[in-house]
Amino acid sequence: MPTDTAPAPGGAPLTLYMLHALGASAGSFDRLADELAGVVHVVGIDLPGFGSAASAPDATVDETVDHVIHRLAAHARGPWMLGGHSMGGKIAALVASRVLRGDAPLFGLRGMVLMAPSPPRPEPMDEERRALMLSWVDDGAISEADAETFIDQNTAEPLDAGAQSLALADLRRTSPTAWRAWLETGSRVDATAAVGTLDVPALVIAGADDADLGASAQPELLASVYPRAHFVTLEATGHMIPLERHLDAAAAISRFVAEEVGVGPVVPDEWVELIRSERVDARVRGALARRALPDDHGYAPAVLDMAQLTLLREIADLVVPQEGPAIDIAARVDAQLARGEGDGWRNADLPGDPEAYRRGLDTLAAAWPTDPSERSDRLKAAIEGDSDLDGPLDAAQLKAWLEDARNDLVRQWLAHPASMARVGYDGFATGGRPMRGYVELRLGRREDWEPANVGGTIATGDAA
Amino acid sequence: MNLEAMRTFTDDEIVDVVVIGTGAGGAPLTAELARKGLTVVALEAGRHFSLDDLTPDETDAVEINWMSERLSGGDDPTAFGPNNSGRGVGGSMLHWGAFTPRPDRRDLALKTESGVGRDWPIDPDELLSYVERVEGDIGVSGPSPYPWDPSRTYAYAPAKRNAPANLVAKGCDALGVRWADAPAAVLTRARLQDHHGERGACVNCGECHQGCRVDAKASTANTYLPAAVASGAEIRSEAMVHGIELDARGLVEAVVYRKGGVDRRQRCRALVLAGGGVETPRLLLHTGLANDSGQVGRNFLAHGATQVWGRFDEPVRGHRGYPSSLISEDMMRPADADFAGGYLVQSLGVMPLTFSTTLVRGGGLWGPELMQRLDQARFMAGIGINADCLPSDDNRLELVDELDEFGIPRARVTFTAGENEKAIDKHATAFMLRVMEAAGARETMVLARTAHTIGTCRMSDDPSDGVVDADGRSHEIPNLWICDNSVFPSAIAANPALTIMALSLRTADRFLASAAA
Repeated sequence: MPTDTAPAPGGAPLTLYMLHALGASAGSFDRLADELAGVVHVVGIDLPGFGSAASAPDATVDETVDHVIHRLAAHARGPWMLGGHSMGGKIAALVASRVLRGDAPLFGLRGMVLMAPSPPRPEPMDEERRALMLSWVDDGAISEADAETFIDQNTAEPLDAGAQSLALADLRRTSPTAWRAWLETGSRVDATAAVGTLDVPALVIAGADDADLGASAQPELLASVYPRAHFVTLEATGHMIPLERHLDAAAAISRFVAEEVGVGPVVPDEWVELIRSERVDARVRGALARRALPDDHGYAPAVLDMAQLTLLREIADLVVPQEGPAIDIAARVDAQLARGEGDGWRNADLPGDPEAYRRGLDTLAAAWPTDPSERSDRLKAAIEGDSDLDGPLDAAQLKAWLEDARNDLVRQWLAHPASMARVGYDGFATGGRPMRGYVELRLGRREDWEPANVGGTIATGDAA
Repeated sequence: MNLEAMRTFTDDEIVDVVVIGTGAGGAPLTAELARKGLTVVALEAGRHFSLDDLTPDETDAVEINWMSERLSGGDDPTAFGPNNSGRGVGGSMLHWGAFTPRPDRRDLALKTESGVGRDWPIDPDELLSYVERVEGDIGVSGPSPYPWDPSRTYAYAPAKRNAPANLVAKGCDALGVRWADAPAAVLTRARLQDHHGERGACVNCGECHQGCRVDAKASTANTYLPAAVASGAEIRSEAMVHGIELDARGLVEAVVYRKGGVDRRQRCRALVLAGGGVETPRLLLHTGLANDSGQVGRNFLAHGATQVWGRFDEPVRGHRGYPSSLISEDMMRPADADFAGGYLVQSLGVMPLTFSTTLVRGGGLWGPELMQRLDQARFMAGIGINADCLPSDDNRLELVDELDEFGIPRARVTFTAGENEKAIDKHATAFMLRVMEAAGARETMVLARTAHTIGTCRMSDDPSDGVVDADGRSHEIPNLWICDNSVFPSAIAANPALTIMALSLRTADRFLASAAA
């Protein structure tokens, strides 16, 4: 296992936790880890019944999900991605859904990396093939010959000697119970409702020569689960991607990290620990987890057109200037408008929010300076009602709309947990059973559970 | 609140009373009428929230607010939504700040005192007797004795003073201004609430406005509504009333409401409107009822609620603790006043998104200055007011052509502060700046704001001059009553909820007396 870690946004190391396929182990990602050293810290997790955990007593899907959450809770620090190969893909989806609901003591998920993943829905599998594979464990562990057959059926080209021997060893030590549990039950479980929609950056790598879980099948299987999925096809590749094509997979992951995952602010470690803790209720943790996901740089606006969104982004840079990796608060406002969410009122001189945004942006666009240094003055005039623009909104309307827009933008910024950390607000951590609020209310004081940067000193003993 | 054993009525049953709204206006009356044996159905537009449904997250917590769009105009457009409007079983008492000053007798007779404004057609002593009853019913904490009313006592010790309160106290002390721990409907020790169960003591989370998750803050959902249900009333949630039907004699015989996408009709012998200062007049204007006087929607009132924030050297972090844990009534009639009436003063802590909205809307901020203030927010303590507001015919609620999701025209509220409001605001701003400077603030910032939705169906002795009589009964439709802050003839400086609940109990008694007559 490589120990190199690379800086992710904010300087914290980015880790990719990978869940292996049926009959494989964490070791199947070793080559990927070596190749990605310096970009992403790859850590494989042995699932119950496989690899070093082959002797684990049970291996239902639920137990496997719990096992992964337990491992992540013990080890995950800083920002991380979750991935899975084949069977591991379905487990990863279930874990991610719990993380994004806040229903796990985890925080910091930034993306998903899936290789020929088994989907949340029942996995398409030829019944004869299922029966054949089940027969391999009728008499105990998988034989050498059956293991070789399995590898041959799941690869486009023969593996090199090292990969072949690793795959054989993993298959031979696989628990027959776990093998049977996946083929008979786990692969057939319909987890679509439990997983729901995971609106998270997702990379899906699949082989052109794979069968039911191949490149041509994946968009149909996963598009509704991962609306932000990027599908990458590997030619001349079967099902055993980490062993067949670790270099290509690593390249795709590097691009994915650079373009999709490594954007936006990262929540500081001390705040991550607080959000993970029992002081934060699941619903709040889930909301914070979803808001902390990287924005989609390819976001297609739902209410505005692309030109209007671009202008709103430029206005957002002026209204809520962000140092360092930025939140795409303009896109978040567009999504908010698409959901029909406002603040319960509007200025009587304005049309409804979506139309007000379109007209306001079109009014400003007509005379928006190409020179960024001139934009602040133009915006200032509009905010103060001093604009003389001839557009869909008059000066008073433009002023009123910009008050709404400024408010929407700053609220989207402040709702992000990294922003809460920056301004020192930890009031979201008033939960648990029994519910805990604050004991220390005094000027200049904080409690021992609070992140240091909220300010003040911890009162102990006589000082309290 | 456990609704499992609740008695229910069919739409065809003619119930004695339908009440529209389950907040401060509707709930006490519902409980009281049910207790006296009347059959009552309370219709609530919003849903029933259990404690587990509530969240401290400001973005998500708006589900307890009335978020269906309202239009706001005039020179001083007032903010709705989370600023002052609730939706759900418990109404605005789900999100209210629990600040419970009693109504000041002088405010109730402002016209007599000052020649402007309007007297309430109610005996102040009578109203105050109901106020005391409400305080006992819901549990109010505060200082005993109360500095501005030494005979007054509170059943619970005051909420713990937070950092903004201590700073404001320091400023007041330096200026010789009296201050006290604020009266608040927040329990400081657990209480067994009749028909409800144990309500916990305040844990100082500071998230009153997002809905209290330990039931320490009183709402009607943990006080009057469980009592009403125990007496046989039905709380029917997610029922949006959009029609009122009259019989041949011109009396209300049914209301039409939509629940689950289906229009239903509940028959009744009497109707009580308790939807608050926006929804009550909106329904009357929409149905065209009880408005021969043309008074429905007129004289909309909003409290001046300007805030001054001071920046201090040490972290204040005023989101901790009960937000308004200090009060001063010294400015109710300041000696140097050049205005009628006065204002209450309170210390302020605040949640971050709420503060950012006030910075943007009330302070006009954006860009680097906005970000700087957000970064400094943890070092800031606030002081704010609740200022009386005189009725004005220019300030009113009307309907626009645009329809809401139920097909009801949206409300447009026009509000412009008058000369008296401006004079109070000027006085208060100067006073608050002095306090914060005396408290040691490095710098100060004034943020404009208004609060509460009052008036629009005022009570009057003269039928041509109001919508309901002094009992809360329509001047025009004998079995139609209004019981919420829309009937207030003037704003009065006290935050409204306590007074609304007192009026609600009084209206119940008047209703029962009229039925007996």
